[in-house]
Amino acid sequence: MTSLTGTPVATGGAPAANRNAKGRRKSRWFRQVGWRHLVAVLAVAFSLFPILFVLSAALNPRGTLSSTDLVPTGGVSLENFANLFDRTAFAHWFVNSLLIAGLAAFLSIFLSAMAAYAFSRMRFSGRRVGLLSLLLIQMFPQFLAIVAIFLIFTTMTDLWPTIGFNTPWGLMLLYLGGALGVNTWLMKGFYDTLPRELDESATMDGATHAQVFFRIMLPLVAPILAVTALLSFIGTINEFLIANVFLTNTESKTLAVGMFGLVAGERNNNFGMFAAGTLLTAVPTVLVFQLLQRYIVSGLTAGAVKG
Amino acid sequence: MSTSLSGPEPATQAPGREPVRSGLPRKSRTARNHAPITATGLVVKVVLLGLVAGIAIWAAFPLIEAELWVGLAILAVTTAGLCYLYLTRRHIPAKYLVPGTLFLIAFQVFPVLYTASTAFTNFGDGHRGSKDDAIVAIQSSSVKQVPGSTEYSLSIATKGDPTAGPLVFLLTDPRTREVSAGDAAGVRRLDAGQITVSPTGKVTAADGYTILNFGQASARSPEITDLVVPTSGGAIRSNGLSRAYEGKAIRAYDAGCDCVKDSETGKTWTADEATGSFVAADGERLAQGWQVNVGLRNFNRVLTDPNISGPFFGTLVWNFAFAIGSTGLTFLLGMAIALALHSPRMKGTNLYRVLLILPYAMPSFAMLLVWRDMFNTDFGLVNNLFGLGVDWFGETWSARAAVLLVQLWLGYPYMFLVATGALQAIPRELTEATSVDGASPWQTFRAVTLPLLLVALSPLLIASFAYNFNNFNAIYLTTEGGPFPADNPTVGATDLLITYTYRLAFGAQGAQFGFAAAISIFIFAIVATVSAISFRRTRKQEEVYS
Amino acid sequence: MRIRTAGVVAVLGLALAASGCGDNSKDEPAAKESPKAASGKLVIWADDKRTAALKPFAEEFGKENGVTVEVQAVSKDLQTNFVTASQQGSGPDVVVGAHDWIGNLVQNGAIDPVQLAAEQKSGFNETAIKAVTFNGQLYGVPYATENVALIRNTELAPEAPKTIEDLVAAGKKLKAEKKASEILCLQSGQNGDAYHVYPLYTSGGGYLFGTTANGDYDPKDLGVGKPESIAAFQKIAKLGEKGEGALKRSITGENSIATFTGKKCAFLVSGPWAIADAKKAGIKYDISPVPGFAGGKETQPFVGVQAFYVAAKGKNKALAQEFVTNYVTKPELAVALYQAEPRPPALTAAFDQVKGTDPDLAKFSEAGRNGQVLPAIPAMAAIWDPFGKAEAAVIGGADPAKTITAAGKTIAGQIK
Repeated sequence: MTSLTGTPVATGGAPAANRNAKGRRKSRWFRQVGWRHLVAVLAVAFSLFPILFVLSAALNPRGTLSSTDLVPTGGVSLENFANLFDRTAFAHWFVNSLLIAGLAAFLSIFLSAMAAYAFSRMRFSGRRVGLLSLLLIQMFPQFLAIVAIFLIFTTMTDLWPTIGFNTPWGLMLLYLGGALGVNTWLMKGFYDTLPRELDESATMDGATHAQVFFRIMLPLVAPILAVTALLSFIGTINEFLIANVFLTNTESKTLAVGMFGLVAGERNNNFGMFAAGTLLTAVPTVLVFQLLQRYIVSGLTAGAVKG
Repeated sequence: MSTSLSGPEPATQAPGREPVRSGLPRKSRTARNHAPITATGLVVKVVLLGLVAGIAIWAAFPLIEAELWVGLAILAVTTAGLCYLYLTRRHIPAKYLVPGTLFLIAFQVFPVLYTASTAFTNFGDGHRGSKDDAIVAIQSSSVKQVPGSTEYSLSIATKGDPTAGPLVFLLTDPRTREVSAGDAAGVRRLDAGQITVSPTGKVTAADGYTILNFGQASARSPEITDLVVPTSGGAIRSNGLSRAYEGKAIRAYDAGCDCVKDSETGKTWTADEATGSFVAADGERLAQGWQVNVGLRNFNRVLTDPNISGPFFGTLVWNFAFAIGSTGLTFLLGMAIALALHSPRMKGTNLYRVLLILPYAMPSFAMLLVWRDMFNTDFGLVNNLFGLGVDWFGETWSARAAVLLVQLWLGYPYMFLVATGALQAIPRELTEATSVDGASPWQTFRAVTLPLLLVALSPLLIASFAYNFNNFNAIYLTTEGGPFPADNPTVGATDLLITYTYRLAFGAQGAQFGFAAAISIFIFAIVATVSAISFRRTRKQEEVYS
Repeated sequence: MRIRTAGVVAVLGLALAASGCGDNSKDEPAAKESPKAASGKLVIWADDKRTAALKPFAEEFGKENGVTVEVQAVSKDLQTNFVTASQQGSGPDVVVGAHDWIGNLVQNGAIDPVQLAAEQKSGFNETAIKAVTFNGQLYGVPYATENVALIRNTELAPEAPKTIEDLVAAGKKLKAEKKASEILCLQSGQNGDAYHVYPLYTSGGGYLFGTTANGDYDPKDLGVGKPESIAAFQKIAKLGEKGEGALKRSITGENSIATFTGKKCAFLVSGPWAIADAKKAGIKYDISPVPGFAGGKETQPFVGVQAFYVAAKGKNKALAQEFVTNYVTKPELAVALYQAEPRPPALTAAFDQVKGTDPDLAKFSEAGRNGQVLPAIPAMAAIWDPFGKAEAAVIGGADPAKTITAAGKTIAGQIK
């Protein structure tokens, strides 16, 4: 938010003139800022209305997927939330998810930031082939790869039980396999927008490639690192297909797997609890977003270009 | 991938001993080896390499124990390679690429190659394992209790150490309460004076034997299962840890004729290596088959089976429309909102942003299910709220519109976030400069913001296209591919190639992995071509703006 | 900048070190203990509901016998994952699932036959034993049976309808009086639901597979696409959206029970799993067999059986056999499982014991008395999808003859 006050913008010099006519001020305000609020409110409405539906199901003690009304009919209660903690290992799932998603996001961002640096700033043979392969490899259907994953991890479980099935470490390793992928592409795109003169001048001043990377590039792309970290965090927390095969032990499950079990088990009578869990799952994501928000909106880049 | 790592451009390989300050900026970037190594850098390097070595040593012991020499060799080579890479001054790109690539190879490239290799086999339900597996399964599933034979009470005992001594079955005949000891050599009667039998018939103590409790016995489970006590009519086998029965495998494999014989009916099934199953003269096949190489048969089937090749083109067109639509719509909406919020005068952006990313924060599979329900004709929120009676998932175009709308809802927060990040990264001076020059906001956007956004985001758009091209859940959890024409339940109006493949390969008669892999290779070839072509176009952009 | 970068590096280093060293220190004892612990361990896979029900009893079995028992839930694709994991050697020792898996599990060599003594076998309900018998061998130990029935709201519909026509008439009347918004809650969804519509299909004269001389299902005699099946679907079409409006694609597995408990429809076709919801919602209900068409055949719901199987490639087969054949066959366990989840127990002794306290059980099993055991042959997998879609199309108003003939062709093409 600090950036709001800092930069004077061409349109920002208006206040003095605005004092004159109320009507003109209003329409002017609308043209410059108001419509933005309108767009934002509409977008928020679009975002939220299915979520209200989930909220209503979570608060409905007979929570079902079918209630056609946004207002719960059977009264409001927190029974579903209480049940979630009493009857399932929800707390375990929550912690596991945070651990796995947090660490995996952190490490995979680091790995892909490094790779993206190489792809963006260095020229070596096979560079474009490498980039394209990264993309193509993601396109192979995952449900087919499950057999191979069983194959790999059966061996790994036998040899190193700490990183085998039902362990957060093993799953994390598996997720790191996807560290170079869409994220690398995303970051490479951002490195490409940074002027090359920046790192070139640093190199000429005698900085090593590592110094350029850690001290110049990384801080400059902080906003996108934050965005990618968040996306990776969300992606990992929501990942279901692989985690479902990987984690069978109730207490080692992640949120996505554990919660799917609530609705998959038998017909729909756990839907209230499921809806409650869905809402709670969004909490860490929102918190992480809050945490990263200041990087996302920081004006770091503007400052760096000047210097 | 490996080629890209080993061959850096000549400029990197030429060790730049002197600072290159003039001309050729590209070379100067890579020729930075002259720079002094800082103390922190060195310490970090040593610590990290030490860690790698430590992990390698930790990982080596189980490999040595299991005598997996190939694995050990791979481990040693990888570790040595890593040490070399980070201690040498050459191969700079590789230093940045290798860590991620190692994981990529182990957990993505290998599974993909493995899967692709199954396209040439009949791998699938009924043909999963080796021929030996199939034979074992056939024999053990044919074990039947010998008619009129005795059901024994069983105690598991040994004459030696409970954890290692040779096992003996102590068998009590429930009618006569006579006790015998059985092992691989056969059965012999035990003297009643030497043993104590509980009221339930189990032997609880016997002279010279140690009786194993359940815990001890179950620790030696495979030995117990394998212990077969030969008798005249068949063999006594354990059934759990407290009962034993006399059984006989009705079917047995005969290596001489490479066939399975049924001793009751006399029927034989001869191995057919072409299909991986045992087939009788009358054409009957045993259910348990094995995996064999079938060459290009799966690929042939994709091309010649009218059920597959017929609807292929229509599905492909819709698949492209879906992927382009999902990517394009989410991008446009996400960018529009990001632009709207990207103003220094805008208040409350923090709150807006949090609320806007909520759709992305909710587990997507859950929200897909919720959306599916909201499109229900009679009970759904969409129809009720707007007073419509649209049979959303029942008509081709409404179903397509509905899945795209769901995709839009799920995906635009992502694009919004990325576009916000990108907008933040665009130096404000650039936009300011143009507006000072008197350009309208729209002109500024067209001339400055959009091109820069596209530089940053076009790789991502390609990636997003690729992801959506195979977005299995988006279809499978909403329409399941429907609506289906009444006379053809195999391909629906919203089917993507991937959901269609899934149904073909896993819907009927169990999983057919080999066949699914073959279809996937076809799809893969198509997407790869399209992506590669669009990727070529980004080269220009990359060079222009970088 | 400097400080921040150094911080990043330090944190990364620490994280790596923590994970690496943590592994090392933790792993030493674990690695040494695990061979012993692993072999005295029994691993059971089940779906989520059954995992919760089973856990206490499995743990008790473990305690009694000095072994560790782990019950693990696989939420999705339990059967496929079990087969894949088994084949690679990382599967469980025991798996719990529906009896119609048997065909597939056997063709993949994933389960072994179980040997029950004659007196153990005779303790089970005959249908249940028949269901888990495949190719003349017993492959699982059943513990509960289930089938659908007609559950009706007795406040709205005091009389059990004799025929489906009676039901439609009563439902229409309630709809006209605005007491209900739907005639009948029989789930279909956009892609149909073969399981729930099957009673009507049989009442209309249709069948899925003929039977061979020894009573097994014969995949070569496919009933879908035959004139009988067309006739049955013509009758079903009359109940559909273009006909009476009793069968609708908008009624899905997600909303059918909820619509019933919300008192928006008086009649629900569902199984024992719906009862808990009805009780919770305070609905006065009664259970009767699904009524058939006037002048048609008797309705025959599918009868499904839940069973325990011994994995062929489990690490601890002896213990698994002990658990499945000697522990699961005890009536006490069956009663306890019933209390955790009310489905009719397959053990006659257990059924008799709980029958007195729960009149619903007898009504459900009465509704399933005439039922058909769900075919366990692998060919059945080819039926579900095309059959369901044909049902949905017919309900939506498609021509039954054309639709069912096409479905029959598709199914026949998939059965090899």
